[in-house]
Order: sequence, then C-alpha cells, then structure tokens
Amino acid sequence: MQKSRRFFSALNKRELLLPALFLAPALAVLLALSIYPLIYSITISLQQETVAGITWGLGNFARLFSDNFFLTALGHTFIYAISALVCEFLLGLGLALLLNNQIRGRGVFRASLLIPMMLPSVVVGVVWRLMLNPNFGSINGTLKQIGINTESLTWTASPKLAMLSVIAVDVWQWTPFVFLVLLAGLQAIPQEPYEAALIDGSSRWQTFWHVTLPLLKPSILIVLLLRTMDLLRVFDQIFILTEGGPGFATETISLYIYRTAFRFFDFGYAAAMSFVLLALTNVISAIYIRLIQAEPN
Amino acid sequence: MRTRTREKYQSANKLAHSKATALLRYVALVAALLFSLAPVYWMLTISLKTEVEQFASPPPWFVFTPTLEHYYDAFVARGFGDYLLTSAIVAVASTACALIIGTLAAYALARFELPWRLNRRLSLWILSTRMFPAIVTAVPLFLMMRDLRLLNTRASLIIVYTGFNLPFVVWMMRGFFADLPRDLEEAALVDGDSRLGALVRVVLPLVTPGLAATAVFCLIVSWNEFLFALVLTQTDAAMTLPVGIAGRVTQYEIKWGVMSAAASVAIIPILVFALSVQKYLVRGLSMGAVKG
Repeated sequence: MQKSRRFFSALNKRELLLPALFLAPALAVLLALSIYPLIYSITISLQQETVAGITWGLGNFARLFSDNFFLTALGHTFIYAISALVCEFLLGLGLALLLNNQIRGRGVFRASLLIPMMLPSVVVGVVWRLMLNPNFGSINGTLKQIGINTESLTWTASPKLAMLSVIAVDVWQWTPFVFLVLLAGLQAIPQEPYEAALIDGSSRWQTFWHVTLPLLKPSILIVLLLRTMDLLRVFDQIFILTEGGPGFATETISLYIYRTAFRFFDFGYAAAMSFVLLALTNVISAIYIRLIQAEPN
Repeated sequence: MRTRTREKYQSANKLAHSKATALLRYVALVAALLFSLAPVYWMLTISLKTEVEQFASPPPWFVFTPTLEHYYDAFVARGFGDYLLTSAIVAVASTACALIIGTLAAYALARFELPWRLNRRLSLWILSTRMFPAIVTAVPLFLMMRDLRLLNTRASLIIVYTGFNLPFVVWMMRGFFADLPRDLEEAALVDGDSRLGALVRVVLPLVTPGLAATAVFCLIVSWNEFLFALVLTQTDAAMTLPVGIAGRVTQYEIKWGVMSAAASVAIIPILVFALSVQKYLVRGLSMGAVKG
C-alpha cells in the first residue's frame, strides 16, 4: 500500500527539480557554445576598424550590397545547392524505386553505398583530386586509353568545368543518403493503396503518380530539407578540391566568409555575411518545416 | 505477406516488362556500386604505388607493385602519427561528454512532464542549434578561444565538438527513450527505486543498442569534422588528421602518396563504425526524423 501510493505520487506529481538538474548541463553547454557565440558575432558585425579606432554601426551590412564578390559567392551557392539537390533527388529516387524489391545481394549493396557518405569530407576531396587530376588522374587516363582527347578536360582547374566537378563530387557522396531515406520511406508504405490501385486497373505510371509519390512525400520533404541545409553551407570538399578557384569560379558563401575572416582577418564583415547565410538557411528550413507539418502525420 | 502482394501486383504486369525491369535493376545496381567504390579504390592504389607508377599512363587500375613506403613516410617520418592520436583523443573525449550530458537531458525531455510545454519547446530549440551553418559559429568561436588562450589545444576541439554533438545525442536518445514502454520504469518505481536508480538500472540497459549507435555517430562526426578543426588548430600540437591531410593538399608540391596513405588510414575506423551502425544509419543521419 505504502509503495503503491509512492508510485502514483512519483508519476503524477509534477517533478521539477530532477528534470531541471538533468537538463541544466545540456542547456548550459548550448548557451555557451551556440547562443553566446551568436551574440558575440552580432557585436563584432556591428564594429568596423577605421584609422580613428573602432566605430559602431551598420557599415558591415551596408557593404554586403555593393560587394560583387559576396553576391557572386551567393549565386554560386545557389547554383551548387540547386543542381546538386536536383541530381541527388532524381538519382536517389530512381534507385530507390528500382531496388524496392527483394533482390539478391541487397545487404552488400547497402553496405557499399554507405562508404561514400560516411567518408571524411577531406578524404572525399583527396579521392576526387586523384580522380580528376588532368595529368595522372584515372578519369582522364582511362578516357585517353579509349581514344578520347582529354586536353580540354582539366576539370577542377578549368573555370568552366570546376563548378560542374564539385557538384558531381557532392552527387557522388550524397546520392546514397537520399536513396536510403527514400527506400526506408517506400518500405513503410502499406500495401492496401497498391491493391486498390491494382483493382482499379491503374497503370504503373498512374500508380506511381497517385499512390507512391503522395505517400512518400513526408520522406521526400525530410531528405530535401536535410540536403538543402548541408548544401547551402558547403565548405570542406570545395576547400580541398579547388579552394574556391580557379579564380573565383567555385567560391561559395562559406568559403568567402572563411577567407574574409581567416585570410583577411576582417571578422566584422565575415560575421555580417554569416548572418545572411544564417537567415537564408532559417527561411528555407522554415518553409520546409511548414510543408512537413502540413502533411497528415 | 507484403512481398507476396507486391509480387502479385507485379505479375499483373506484362512478363516482358518485368524482365526488362529486372535487367535494368541489376544494371543500375552494378553501375551504382562501381561508381561508389571505384574512386575510393583508386585512392587506395595510389597510396600503395611507387611514384613512378602513380604517374603511369594508362593508369594501372589493377596491376602494380605494392609498396608501404608512403605509409612509413606519413606516419613515421612525418607528423601524421600525432594527428591520428589527436583525432582519436578528441573524438573519444567529446563523444563521452556529449553522451553523458545529452542522455540526461533527453531522459528529462522524454519522461518528465515539464510546465509551459517546455518538452516540445526545448527539444525544438536544441534541434535548431544544430541547424546553424558551421561557419556562422566558427568565426565567434575562434575569437572566444583566442581570448581564452585555447587556440591550438585539443581542449578547444573537445569543447566545441561536445556542443556540436549534443543536440544530436538529445534527439536520438529522446527517440530511443520514447520507444520504450513506461511500464518498466513504473515497475522499478513501485519496487522502491528512485527516478535516478530507475534510469541507471532499468532504462539505460534497455537503450544500450541505441546509446551505442548514438556514440558511434558522434565518433564519426568528430572524426570527420574539418571546419572547426581548421579554424581552431594550426600547429602540430593539436592538428587533427583531416587538417593534417588538408595542409598537405594545399601546399605547392603535393606528395600524393603520403596524402593518400593518410587518407586511407583515416577511413579505416569510419568503415568499421559505419558497418556497425548500419541498422540505425538512416535514423542517425536524419537526426531521428526517419526511423528506417
């Protein structure tokens, strides 16, 4: 009797001390490492170093609009994100639809696909520098072997092909992730709608368009959200592959912020630009999250 | 059951159609496999080739004389042994910190009813801190660490990675706790256990697989992380493996063999880890949003 009363009181009473103690360390760490840095960043973005000393104002933000490098880097970021997202989505969806059946060797296939996406991004950069090197890279070497003139195919060293190359590398690394999420989504779809579609005599295409796609929509939105966020802040592979070059051809916003802060030591302007990136990712993720919440479950 | 209905559905289509699909399926499978693995395999061969064979034309994909000289060069003659040690220390220490702090928070969010809808609000806030692009916090964190005189120390990376992994741990563990029936804890409480006792003796043993998977993900993220390490560590004393490799890439004369050897070693733990968490992979990579 005694025990059972204690049991009820323990579960029904709103306990506050214990959860507060459990949550406190995590909240303290996040405040110190996420919120405080953001506030710090705001203060430095409002400061400008001039001959007369440090002045406060919106100068760094005003500079954004007349800085062609910034606008170009922003444009590159969009080109990169949209192209990679479309390719990864279409390829990942195609693969998921093709392989959404019992096939021999699926375990091996899954395990092998994990490799690119789990690699350190620096290693991905190294791998593709070795592949794309115009002189001894295996791509040009193999193309030459089958009789293709590779003189103009300088990949990351060519202003025209550099962007295409870095996008291809992202597609190589992240298509498997899109595939795995969409495959998980496909396998969670119940059979009943398919049976109904079969009875109604709907064609394959109709079934795909009216049954599969709507039921897969939550998974699609989640994977697009996660990929978009990663693509907008891309840094590592491009840093290794091209360092934003040749010239400015593959400079994305993260790379430009890095250069501004750690090569030119203009922390105020770098902070101002980073808020543009933050606002951009926030707006886009808010749109996705709204779409996800509009889904029935 | 499901497969059988699906097969029935397929048999309704034309036989020729399904044969073509089967063929297409295997072609796509093999192409995707080759496309995924060939570049990594190529790097492994470069790390094992003499410099003459590295530059050979046509590129020797399969036939070459293997040598370990680049591995010796990287890890004995140059500093990559130290970078490896730093990467390991930083990954293990930050994972341990994030797991302890994050699991407690996750348990509080999953099992206690907090006022002002704090369960949901705090969870979303914690998630949102993970959504910051790394470069946004890298700039102020560099300045903070400079003020604290922690630049070029392993401690700075351990601190930053703990904060970076924490939201992930909270979300993953919250999901694993929520999957667990409440009856077990209630039984423990009936038996006179305290809340903390119930957590340690009853709940944690049951979520061990989830905890292990979460730990492995944190290890992978910390091991792979590049931007913060690049910004916070520039000397041999605290450089991680990715920063060490990157430093070699951007130099004028590139030692391809050394770089490939270091990169090949960097992927060994990742391969072991990734295969061990296969089952939780989709869940982990989507922050628990997809339970695949």
